Amino acid sequence: MLNRRNLLRGLATGMGATSILGAPHAFASRPNFSIKTGGAKRVIFFLQNQGFAPETCIPEGMTESGSLDGVTLPEPIQALDPYKDRMHIITGLHGRHTSPSHSAYFGALGGYRGGIGVAPGGATIDHVISGLLPETIMPHLRLGMDALENMISRPTLATLSASDAGKPLYMHSNPVNLYRLLFGGIATGDVKRRYEARSRVFDSIESLAGQGVDRLPAGERERYSSYVNGFRDINGLRERLHDVSDHLTNFAPEYDERFTQPEFETDWHDALLDIGIASLKAGLTSVLTIGSGRGEIFGSWKGLGITEQGHNLGHMKQPDNPIWVKIRQYNCDMLVRLMQALESMPEGDGTMMDNTLIVYTSNNADKQHTNGANWPFILLGNCSGAFRTGQYTRLTSSRPLNDLYATMLHAIGAPHDHFNVSRAQASQYRSVAGPIEELLA
Amino acid sequence: MNKTQLRAILTLIPLCCPTALAAGDGPEAAFGSEIVPFLNQHCMDCHSADAAEGEIVLEGVSRVTSDNVELWKRVWEQVALRQMPPRGTDDPPEPLARLKFADEITRQIESAMVDAGGFDRHHHPSKGNHIDHDLLFGPLPKDLSPTSTPARLYRVHPMEHLTRLSSLINQDPPYDPAKPGVRSQGDFINPNKEGEIKVYYGLDRVIGWVGGTAAYAASITGFPPALSLEDAHGLRSYPNLYTVNGAEATQIASTAEDILRFMAFGPDAEPYQFAASVKDIDKKYKHESLRGLAQSLFYGLEPKRPLTPVYDLTQIEQPGDEDLARAVRFLFTELTCRRPTEDETQRYTAILRTAMTDLGRDDGIVLGLTPIFLDRAALFRSELAQAGRPDSHGRVMLQDAELALAINAAFSYLRPGDDLLDAAANGKLRTRADVEREVDRILADDSIRKPRMLQFFREYFDYDRAGKICKDTAALQAAGGDTRTDQHYRAMWNMTASTDRLIELILAEDRDVLKELLTTNRIVSSQKEDAPYLGSYLSDKRPKKDPKAKRGPNRSVTIAPYNSPKGTAIHVRVARVVKPNKTNRVLTTVDESQRKGILTHPVWLVAHSDAMDNHAIHRGRWIRERLLGDAVPDVPITVDAMLPDEPNATLRHRMRVTKEEYCWKCHQKMDPLGLPFEMYNHAGLYRTTELKQPVITSGEIIDSGDPELDGPVKDALEMIDRLAASERVEQVFVRHAFRFWMGRNETIDDAPVLQDAWHAYRDSGGSMKALVRSLMLSDAWLYRRVDREALAGTR
Repeated sequence: MLNRRNLLRGLATGMGATSILGAPHAFASRPNFSIKTGGAKRVIFFLQNQGFAPETCIPEGMTESGSLDGVTLPEPIQALDPYKDRMHIITGLHGRHTSPSHSAYFGALGGYRGGIGVAPGGATIDHVISGLLPETIMPHLRLGMDALENMISRPTLATLSASDAGKPLYMHSNPVNLYRLLFGGIATGDVKRRYEARSRVFDSIESLAGQGVDRLPAGERERYSSYVNGFRDINGLRERLHDVSDHLTNFAPEYDERFTQPEFETDWHDALLDIGIASLKAGLTSVLTIGSGRGEIFGSWKGLGITEQGHNLGHMKQPDNPIWVKIRQYNCDMLVRLMQALESMPEGDGTMMDNTLIVYTSNNADKQHTNGANWPFILLGNCSGAFRTGQYTRLTSSRPLNDLYATMLHAIGAPHDHFNVSRAQASQYRSVAGPIEELLA
Repeated sequence: MNKTQLRAILTLIPLCCPTALAAGDGPEAAFGSEIVPFLNQHCMDCHSADAAEGEIVLEGVSRVTSDNVELWKRVWEQVALRQMPPRGTDDPPEPLARLKFADEITRQIESAMVDAGGFDRHHHPSKGNHIDHDLLFGPLPKDLSPTSTPARLYRVHPMEHLTRLSSLINQDPPYDPAKPGVRSQGDFINPNKEGEIKVYYGLDRVIGWVGGTAAYAASITGFPPALSLEDAHGLRSYPNLYTVNGAEATQIASTAEDILRFMAFGPDAEPYQFAASVKDIDKKYKHESLRGLAQSLFYGLEPKRPLTPVYDLTQIEQPGDEDLARAVRFLFTELTCRRPTEDETQRYTAILRTAMTDLGRDDGIVLGLTPIFLDRAALFRSELAQAGRPDSHGRVMLQDAELALAINAAFSYLRPGDDLLDAAANGKLRTRADVEREVDRILADDSIRKPRMLQFFREYFDYDRAGKICKDTAALQAAGGDTRTDQHYRAMWNMTASTDRLIELILAEDRDVLKELLTTNRIVSSQKEDAPYLGSYLSDKRPKKDPKAKRGPNRSVTIAPYNSPKGTAIHVRVARVVKPNKTNRVLTTVDESQRKGILTHPVWLVAHSDAMDNHAIHRGRWIRERLLGDAVPDVPITVDAMLPDEPNATLRHRMRVTKEEYCWKCHQKMDPLGLPFEMYNHAGLYRTTELKQPVITSGEIIDSGDPELDGPVKDALEMIDRLAASERVEQVFVRHAFRFWMGRNETIDDAPVLQDAWHAYRDSGGSMKALVRSLMLSDAWLYRRVDREALAGTR
């Protein structure tokens, strides 16, 4: 199983990540490297479903790579205009091998073949990074935004992130449950009493669940252990949160009617984002993955006045489409809120944003029924000076999105030649060893 | 370089790799003794460094490692599925040698991947056909080992879990022989018209609400299944595929508290919401601003939910230990399907007592009983066979409580009746005769509901996925689907319920079950709603609006709805949300010149289509796997499996790309079997033209394994007739039933069990009951393989 300890141990001893990550096409590494994850860094992945049309992110008139200085951003992403100097728009990466079509699911962040019902083929980049950055209480927080009824009926869903082959990671979609989980310990009075009573009961459950595990046959023991470990994770997290409860008090979002009486799905989307921001500011997590549309082919944004919902949204052309302009603008407003929140937090000689990278893209390349030949990305922030910013880069060598993920590993100080690309696959995917130089500072 | 020289090179490979020659029983030794000779004899002519057919080079390849595992997976599938060595080769391997080679590769992959994510793909149900059918149903090989199934934990099925939770809060009616299709206690919980599966709180007590049906649907609360299941075609109930993750456990705990609160106190509502009649409620509580809120629901005065020992606790000011223990025993039995031991009762009673001390009686009941919902036995059924002595093959027969629960779980989602629990408690579940007695009793009693039987047919046919196939609006309308897209999905979910009922009807008759399902002219139908889907596509001409009608036609192309014969009344099981849905349907017949059996029902056709068009590959794959007992290897990761995007070309024409040599090796197994279904479009409508040209419906059964089956077919109906008459097809059906009820893929050692089951089915005139009975009395079902020494070592 992939965890920070054995991953670091493996990397430090030069074993390479292939065997440790356990993915069938786990990322191959340079023979000699060292871990330089350094101080606090954080990476935020924001994936909007149904594709990201390049026309909606390339500044008008820009047909080649160049500076963003003085250009006008397209209407859907105009909210990012004040951040152009901290921005890098990238087109020309491909994800053909991820079989996106309706959604590449785990393949979008894994860089391998995905698709509906296809189990993850290995660890995804967000989870790998969470294991490489300095440890936090909750190394990887995942949020999923969807239609309100779906978030209620399926408060957890796994479609985008994975810790290993066949090991999906769940997103949280019910902000009430998530708030209680993260901030229940800082309540007072009756709420506190209930929290403690609940803690005792859950400790009992863990104890009961763990009895007799050693009497199970080997394969069954492993499968059942994931159930027991689930309680260990829940209870362990509660204890760790309890230990920092004074600190958390300063960051807990306001628990208001958006949580308890949402009128539209966007109330819960905003509440989830607030929890994500609070978790980053409080240092609870250093990797946040947001799935708007939860990696699937549905989704709803009635709170923006959009009456169409579900899969039909995916069958519309995005450029100049008022519906998609609204959705993209809403995404960008969220990105701005994230950046403003991180800029407000001092860190070292600057702010948290100085050490942050935000990765905005889609789980489905450029559009529905795509072959994944062009997969646009927007990067915000430079992650402690690692990334070049204020730039539009049109890559012409058709490298796979895996190479961008390898570049991120390089940027956080854990350089790898490839991410989830074997030697045999490298030429086929047109993957080039090492980071994408055009993207680095 | 000649063939002899190449063989010599490969024989030398182990010398280059000293570990490969290591003595002993490990993977290195087995590679040298089992794999290298097979490669030498059967593979080197084409896959040497010089020949490199298909760019696959096996010369110099090392034993399986995590680095070359993708290559070995391909070798495994190609050999197991008889794709390699190619047909017509001079010296084909014997089936048994092929099996041993393939098994050794999977063993090696398992070993190589232990620290690299593991390898379990060969145990997946989709790989069940990787063993040669003729090995299983031909003369029995010598030296078979007595069969058994590994000791295991069976995570409960999501529907099983949901049914049990539902029974705690809903009082479903008992089985009524006069209305055999109506939902009764223990039956399958169907999706609603939108495809959502949910159990609601207090549905049967609601007497009114503010607003329309949408407001009602928004105000009533419920819960969906908490456990996950593979969202894919095919059998999906294997225990090795599932566990319960932390997120699911959290969700179960949360739902448990809601359920317990409802069990104890009823609907969470203000006093004004309860009345004998809605008209007794003050008008001020009926204001439209309340629409869609929980406060807008009105309930009758009399409780409708089951009043259980959990409710009893709320009626005693200070419940004593025995009161608490009674609630614990009740809940434990309902959730785990067995009675708790005294130790378990005491343990949970103590937790309940502590919670009541912490939080007071009412909140303490809710929190203190929650852990029972998360007991291992509530989520995992044990088949560990920890009692009993292993025989000389390391096998132990299930007995007592484990056997009672296994028998029960083969049919039911609710706890067993007291007779079965008593038999287990009194030592009367220890022999094959005991099992025979109980299985026969259950099979003969229709009042014991058997949703697992239906679950098998849902997974076998996949028709229940029709409502999940997301359709492109324009493509759907062009095929004759409803212009109101939502209506299309509602029609699919409704027709799924109708097909459930048809299957249950054929199961009740229990004669030639498979053949009847494949060829019946009967159909259960909501005649008016289903008529367009059972009808024909005529042209792309937009129908004229009826001047007398309020709204325009709900089709944008011209179709001929099916005018079905009057038929007889029949009931189906439909989900209830807003109000009791009409359960009435009609048992009628299809136009036999156009349709025949489930494979021609719109739900099966749509379930095997995609957003834009038919999916001839999926349809063909279904025939290949479920009827012919063959399989298609996983698509290599390097293949960009996309048809050209040519909106003005037929699917048959677009599929020309699959005829390229590299693709055709696999696609010849599927495409010619799926293309005969081009006589229907992707909405399931019958058609004679496509893009204004006569539709081509021909196909071919190629290399089925039964020469009598092989040959061209003019359309799907002819193909279905031929397949339905085949013994091989019947045997493959038995193989799937084996997998479903055993929860694992068959091995060569299961050949006698499969042959017995097929004979039981055939000799009984195609009785499903006889088939299941035979499987459940087999060693494969009764015995578990245990390794006591290994377990002792781990402790």
